[in-house]
Amino acid sequence: MGRTAVEAPRPLHGPGSPDAASKGAPARARRRARHLRESALTPWLFLAPGLLLFVGFRVYPLLEGLYLSFTNARLGRAQYAFVGLANYERLLEDSRFHVSLWNTGFYTVASTLPILAIPLGLAVLLDRGLPLRTLLRSAFFFPFTLSVVTVGLAWLWLLDPVVGPFNYYLKAAGVPVRSWLADPATAMWAIILTTVWWLTGYYLVIYLAGLQDIPPELYEAAAIDGAGGVRRFWAITLPLLRPVLLFVLVTHVIGSFQVFGQVFILTVGGPGDATRTVVQHLYETAFRSFFHFGSASAMAWVLFVIVLGFSLLQFRLLRGHTEY
Amino acid sequence: MGSLPPSAAALRPRGGAARWRRAALAGALLVLATLWLLPAVWMAVTSLKPTENIVRMPPEWIPWPATLAHYGEVLFSSSRTARIGRAFLNSVVVSVGTVVVVLVTSAMAAYPLARMRFLGRDLVFVVLVGSLMIPNAVVLVPQYVLTQRLGWLSTYQGLIVPEAAVTFAFGVFLLRQFFLTIPGELEDAARIDGADRWRIFSRIVLPLSQPVLAALAIFAFRSAWNDFLWPLIAVNKAEMFPLPVALSFLRGAYASESYGPIMAGATLSALPLLLVFLVANRRIVEGVRVSGLKG
Repeated sequence: MGRTAVEAPRPLHGPGSPDAASKGAPARARRRARHLRESALTPWLFLAPGLLLFVGFRVYPLLEGLYLSFTNARLGRAQYAFVGLANYERLLEDSRFHVSLWNTGFYTVASTLPILAIPLGLAVLLDRGLPLRTLLRSAFFFPFTLSVVTVGLAWLWLLDPVVGPFNYYLKAAGVPVRSWLADPATAMWAIILTTVWWLTGYYLVIYLAGLQDIPPELYEAAAIDGAGGVRRFWAITLPLLRPVLLFVLVTHVIGSFQVFGQVFILTVGGPGDATRTVVQHLYETAFRSFFHFGSASAMAWVLFVIVLGFSLLQFRLLRGHTEY
Repeated sequence: MGSLPPSAAALRPRGGAARWRRAALAGALLVLATLWLLPAVWMAVTSLKPTENIVRMPPEWIPWPATLAHYGEVLFSSSRTARIGRAFLNSVVVSVGTVVVVLVTSAMAAYPLARMRFLGRDLVFVVLVGSLMIPNAVVLVPQYVLTQRLGWLSTYQGLIVPEAAVTFAFGVFLLRQFFLTIPGELEDAARIDGADRWRIFSRIVLPLSQPVLAALAIFAFRSAWNDFLWPLIAVNKAEMFPLPVALSFLRGAYASESYGPIMAGATLSALPLLLVFLVANRRIVEGVRVSGLKG
């Protein structure tokens, strides 16, 4: 390691300052000083393996994708040409892409209320010092440990129109049944139901953490003032949970724009294109039917801009709520 | 988390009526939690039934007589598609590999970001945290191009390295938060005794950080074990499929009514994380908590 220390010595480093060492202080002090200063390179040596990984597999692909979106690149095509905005223009006419965007938007909007409200309701109930709290939380959390494929397969079987238990019990209860996943009117709702089951535990834990941070004195004061449970929820819990609610909302929206696995397992985008999503369309454009990397990259960047918009929205909305 | 007092605990009335009300609420939630787990229970129950009992109506929730035949079939039969046994092994290799790469790179990167002063430190940190907003789907195609160029398609490193790159930034974030809380005096004492930065990092900081390293390891394991889209694209040899991909093909390989083998595969894929979850429940919850609130 070189001795080109640019880092200012920290106050706690003791008496052996580098200046003293270089002015002919005793050898022992000099040796100590050498330990105390360090090369400007040291932090970068620590960072190097991670940054290599990060630049190579995150930053570079992001930029390469932008470049590809202006080319006619295809799987297996060694040479490709710059085509300007042609891929983006084609997206304007690609009706399946429009359907995919619409479906993704619908999924996002329709799943938001249940994904915000169900874990919140559970969290508020669990936060009351109930017996078996940890057990209950674990039960709701468990589906989140499963892969999206496992979740999809389990629900595919559960929702089987002929031999699945879901329809059996509905029929027994006198509810008219149908082939939920094969009906364009209900397929997306079945996917949403599956997703809510999968992710509720994750958001539950986040809400519970948020509830822990609300000072109990507030509830005490409200109780003394005669506020009931419902009133306390609206007047204290909800406002103070606002940053957490926003976090859950935006995380969910960003994740929803990339929904893929559930759809791929449960409906493969069908019936027709009723549940086709953007990422599925991107996947098929690039890797299944057309092998058109340029066009798929253009879709990816349209998606990125949408997601980025929501991320910036998050920062705007969260600004000023630094207490969390 | 179980040890922290609930925020409403101070309100807890001392009377017997209130205690009964809480017990009743817990009972109601217990019923709901049981219902909540039924899809997973149904999956496991189905995997243990002989084929002829699987589609019987009304649904039978006790798998009796039970059989392990479906497990034998998906683990060892090569007749249909990728063997789940081999896929399980692939997933173990990829997930453990990812955990190792993530722990080493994140810990090394988080240390100077938390404990050293240098030009560019804040910029590096901001870029890393900002990258958490990059949707994975956006880099799918270029990542494929890169992996192909490296000759890494259908290899373990082709799954491990991109997987680790996704989790790296979160790992740095999580570990940096923890490293910031380690008292500076410990390091200063070691430096005066002649320890260099690497020694301080490996002998003082890392041993003190075992809980948070465990949380990160579980987080990285979970995301690698469960990832689906990237391996679906990056692997095109059946013997290299990780579990989620092999399972998704299992669905097509069997007629839709033979749910036995499919559910056996799905149950197998759930077991490792269930075990981790039972052993380290609190670590997982802690990891999620931090990822949520501070991410």
